[in-house]
Amino acid sequence: MVDKEEIMKIAILSKLFVAEDEIEQLTEDMAKIISFADTINNASEEGTEFDNINNLSNVLREDEVVPSYEREKILANAKDSDEGCFLVKNIMR
Amino acid sequence: MKYELVAGFETHVELATNTKIFCSCTTQFGGEPNTHCCPICIGLPGTLPKLNKRVVEFAIRAGLATNCEIAEISKMDRKNYCYPDLPKAYQISQYDKPLCEHGYIELSNGRKIRILRIHIEEDAGKLVHSRGSTMVDYNRGGVPLIEIVSEPDIRSAEEAREYVEKLQPIMRYIGVSDCKMQEGSMRCDVNISVRPAGSEKLGTRTEIKNMNSITFITKAMEYEFGRQVDLIESGEQVVQETLRYDDATNTTSSMRGKEDANDYRYFRDPDLVTISVPRSKVEEIAASLPELPAQKLARYTEELGLPEKDAQLLIKYRKVAEYFERAMEGTKNPKTAANFIIGQIFRTVENEAEKEAFDIRVSAESLNELIRLIDSGKIRMNIAKSTLDKMLETGQKPSELLSDSDMAGLSAEALKELCQQAVAANPKAAADYRSGKEKAIKALVGFVMKNSRGQADAALAEQTLSAMIMEN
Repeated sequence: MVDKEEIMKIAILSKLFVAEDEIEQLTEDMAKIISFADTINNASEEGTEFDNINNLSNVLREDEVVPSYEREKILANAKDSDEGCFLVKNIMR
Repeated sequence: MKYELVAGFETHVELATNTKIFCSCTTQFGGEPNTHCCPICIGLPGTLPKLNKRVVEFAIRAGLATNCEIAEISKMDRKNYCYPDLPKAYQISQYDKPLCEHGYIELSNGRKIRILRIHIEEDAGKLVHSRGSTMVDYNRGGVPLIEIVSEPDIRSAEEAREYVEKLQPIMRYIGVSDCKMQEGSMRCDVNISVRPAGSEKLGTRTEIKNMNSITFITKAMEYEFGRQVDLIESGEQVVQETLRYDDATNTTSSMRGKEDANDYRYFRDPDLVTISVPRSKVEEIAASLPELPAQKLARYTEELGLPEKDAQLLIKYRKVAEYFERAMEGTKNPKTAANFIIGQIFRTVENEAEKEAFDIRVSAESLNELIRLIDSGKIRMNIAKSTLDKMLETGQKPSELLSDSDMAGLSAEALKELCQQAVAANPKAAADYRSGKEKAIKALVGFVMKNSRGQADAALAEQTLSAMIMEN
């Protein structure tokens, strides 16, 4: 069963802010989603190979270099950049 | 109470491919920040990764060279964690179906360090923390790695050193990585716990992350062993945590708080299809592997009769071993080539990097030529040594450096003549020898050696002199 603590843990792992008054609704929703997944769990696995579900294997590339993108393009969507680097909030505590 | 150290290794080895694991950007080390990048390796939505064929081949080579079984079916998984060195917030790695499993590395004391698995994954980008913010360079992001995970079979810092020192040359011999620890192409995480000697139960372990020098690894392990023993002795608990080693203070410190307890929520990467390795492919790769360091060591000591210490020095780098094999080919005693390399030639090689490249002025063929001259009696060892010094200095061949008179050696006639001169010049020594003073002959031999400029064979000279004196 999904409980409040589980919801909070998932929220933290997903970097989501969850307000106190949303928790109850989220817990209910999540329980519904999981019980839906149970439908799949209850299906028979006999004769099904899950490791290779679309019967595709070894889609591989040759090890040949293709020129990389110009740095301006790579950094075009960055929130902030400096000296050719992506700039993010200091993560060292 | 006596305590035992228990350690396991996770070794990351950067593969020497031309391109990244899932895109065609170069893997070249360095470069201006973010110039080896494309939408795939910076994790833009909607891009489709495609696995590099050579990564699979290299990982199989590494697996075979460390006695692993190669999985027929393997797959890629997403390892989720949120840190700016990973643009996608997950690393593509392998979870429950790694490419290689159940191998081992054998140590010189006969103990086998079991390898649990070797899997392929992508490297993360580089972070530089400065001026209150963090700068991210994704050039290294997506560079292919293999992670070699050992079982907790290591029992001392010395065994740890040997384990790493055995892995490095294996990976270099098979050409999958240069294993340069200082450049980060080989990095080790060490899991350490302690337990009372004789106990079977494992203690609580800590993990020291990202060490890039063998010296640091052994020092960190010794420090951490002492720290854990002290905790237990004083009645405290070892806390399971991730540590960083600080070489300046030779201590370990905690890296992450408990609130980040790892939950990677691994799941199959739906963008990447199954890797299937037919047995024929495994056999083909196995057949292409060169003779490995351990096999060379056995051959050098058992078949060639080299002392183990010398053999170890020769096998450490593949190029040195190959040089030795070319230099000794067709010569009488492999020890001659080994001694020249370990003695005179190694003296001209400054450091480990130069040993690895082993680009020296004297070709193996020239050394071979010199040894053949010794074997055929044309030159004596002392002349060979001084000639090799000149060869190392000038890069010239023996034939260019040795005069005809050097190479003529000493003919039987010339030796006989010198012996006659020796007797004539030292009648007293000859008379003493005839009357039974065996040592008296040494003065005569000395005369012959001196006047032949070292070209005469001392034993042969003594024989000739003795016969000559006794006949008269």
